[in-house]
Amino acid sequence: MKLSEEARKVVEQSMHLNAVDDVQREEIEKVIESMPDDRVLLYKNVVSNPIGDLQRYSIHIRIQHMLTFVTFLTLAFTGLPIAFFDHFWAEPLNTLVGGVDVSRIIHRTLAGIMIFSMIYHVWYLFWIAIRDIMLQRFELQRSIIPTLKDIRDFKDDMLYFSGQRKQRPMMDKFMYKQKIHYFAASFGNLVMVLSGSSFLFPEFWAAILPSGSVSYFQEMMRLSHPHEALLALLVIAFWHWFNVHLAPGRFPMQWTFLTGKITREHQIEEHFLEYLRNLVELPEERAYLQNMLDARELSSEEGGDDMQTNEGSA
Amino acid sequence: MINKAFQFLLQIGLMLIAMMVSQSAFAFEDDEGCLLCHKYPKMGRITEDGARRSYYVMPHVFEKTVHRNVPCKDCHSYIDQLPHKEVKTGVTCNSECHSVKNPATGKNFSHKSIYDKYMQSSHGRDKVTNGHDQDKPYCVTCHTNPIYNPAELDGPPEKVTQRCVVCHEDEKFVANWYKHTSRRIKEVKRSPKEVMELCSSCHGDKRLIERHMQAAEKEGRELGVKYPYAAESYEQSFHGKVTRYGFTGAASCLDCHADNDNYYMNVHDIKPSRNPDSPVNEQNVVKTCQRCHTYADDNYTKLDPHPTPMSHPEDNLFRYYANVIYGWVGDVVILLLVGLAAFETFGRRRDGAGWRLRKGSSWWRRSKRGRDRKI
Repeated sequence: MKLSEEARKVVEQSMHLNAVDDVQREEIEKVIESMPDDRVLLYKNVVSNPIGDLQRYSIHIRIQHMLTFVTFLTLAFTGLPIAFFDHFWAEPLNTLVGGVDVSRIIHRTLAGIMIFSMIYHVWYLFWIAIRDIMLQRFELQRSIIPTLKDIRDFKDDMLYFSGQRKQRPMMDKFMYKQKIHYFAASFGNLVMVLSGSSFLFPEFWAAILPSGSVSYFQEMMRLSHPHEALLALLVIAFWHWFNVHLAPGRFPMQWTFLTGKITREHQIEEHFLEYLRNLVELPEERAYLQNMLDARELSSEEGGDDMQTNEGSA
Repeated sequence: MINKAFQFLLQIGLMLIAMMVSQSAFAFEDDEGCLLCHKYPKMGRITEDGARRSYYVMPHVFEKTVHRNVPCKDCHSYIDQLPHKEVKTGVTCNSECHSVKNPATGKNFSHKSIYDKYMQSSHGRDKVTNGHDQDKPYCVTCHTNPIYNPAELDGPPEKVTQRCVVCHEDEKFVANWYKHTSRRIKEVKRSPKEVMELCSSCHGDKRLIERHMQAAEKEGRELGVKYPYAAESYEQSFHGKVTRYGFTGAASCLDCHADNDNYYMNVHDIKPSRNPDSPVNEQNVVKTCQRCHTYADDNYTKLDPHPTPMSHPEDNLFRYYANVIYGWVGDVVILLLVGLAAFETFGRRRDGAGWRLRKGSSWWRRSKRGRDRKI
């Protein structure tokens, strides 16, 4: 496989950061060389362990995710019957969570835990970002921060889905969908905390805001809290869960949120640049891939020239 | 356990049988002979306009009510011969009882003080009235003749009354006193949820509200801004949302609209917000909020305790359109994302992504475009 300029940069930087020696470099170049240009062939032929093959999320991120989603769902189930009291499911759901006397305590306690998990997350990200910057190991494109490449990736992916590209774009550790979801969830979280605080401490907000805006602020908060909650719940149920657990290729579930590992075929399909880093970082992954390619006689020639031109135009 | 439950059922059963058997034996005095006729369950008539009226007095129920010791004529004072003539006005609640003395003052007992309070409130009306006043609540709209604590139908617990009878001698006297005080010590106020339901039974009645708004417009009277949707908008507020589930810590109607020095007196004295004495009048509203929200200030009173319901956009157009826009944004976001997921699923099918997991892969290896020869 002839790497695009972008992918080549990623590989070079990774080799630099991992201080690979000449022997390893040769091995890496060899395995990259023998990969077919058609990446579809790769992810159809690799063997994946459904539990996960390649490390993706640290234990901290998994704990933060666990804290956030457990509190989020319980917050939603204790809050929604109060906000949407006039729906048929409101009364039974409210009874199920113990009635308002109980659920208000649960709601506030879990809100506290959710805020804690937010702080934990932000603190953790800052910490590893600063650590990586100090060690000159920080790679912007490998982080969750959106870049122009994401817009390009989105466009190319849409073109692939509509049949106008032969392959999906080479995406990094976090693809455009994950970035959208991450920032939407962060924004939503802040909105929920802000609006929730305006219910819990209305006097405080009334005291610090100018008198002309107090009423507008409170009305916006009153509307934001339930609307944002419902939107978040629907996005989680119909988009997030579908993407991570139900979509073809992920079904019946991904274990990443528990094991922190991603399957090989998923990494190659949606995070190819990260897979290239894996090849640099993990000798055993190189060995596995090289063996597989040799055993199945998949070589770069088989993809044909049209794959190349396709990449060029992408 | 089973034994206890059985005993309990047996007691209930025996009690019911005893109640049926003792129907004809009246525990209260009927010196005036009213029950001569009114003890018959079929006693009643069909009025000129077709309403069926029952004049049956259930002695076994009446004897357990707070009014059981009041002779009929004390309230039905217009009866001066038997059989009596047609009754025009009926009982009003401000009459004096000639048989029951107020033990504190020695005067004839009367509900007059609370009645006068009620008459000067915005709900005040005469019992027999016409026009729009008919929609206002009279005493019996909210108060029936209350029955004593059902748990005490069997009589007061002996372990308490045995002590009383030592000095007071008369067991009947002791039993009455026990009922009188125990009922009042127990919380007899309506719960916030019941208050909300009671007020909403009129203030949530669209036709009644419509009638009064038209009348006020004709007469050039002013009504409160939230009058047209008071109940509906309260339901939209956080107070209303938790109160409807039986939470007792949030403000119900009375917590803001009645003064808070003497609950029993003030709930009868609700005044319109334009009245300077009303707790929700502009001048008093900060203090009223501070009853619960200790740090409330002038700014705080700008928060709307009756948020605009969707049925009345004119109350607050900002809130209405913000709500509408929020709804649309939500719908569009969900549609876009679900559309994206569907498009993606469709697009990935081309290369053979399937809903399965076989041999460590969910890809259909034998899919189109000849990419799958090597397997």
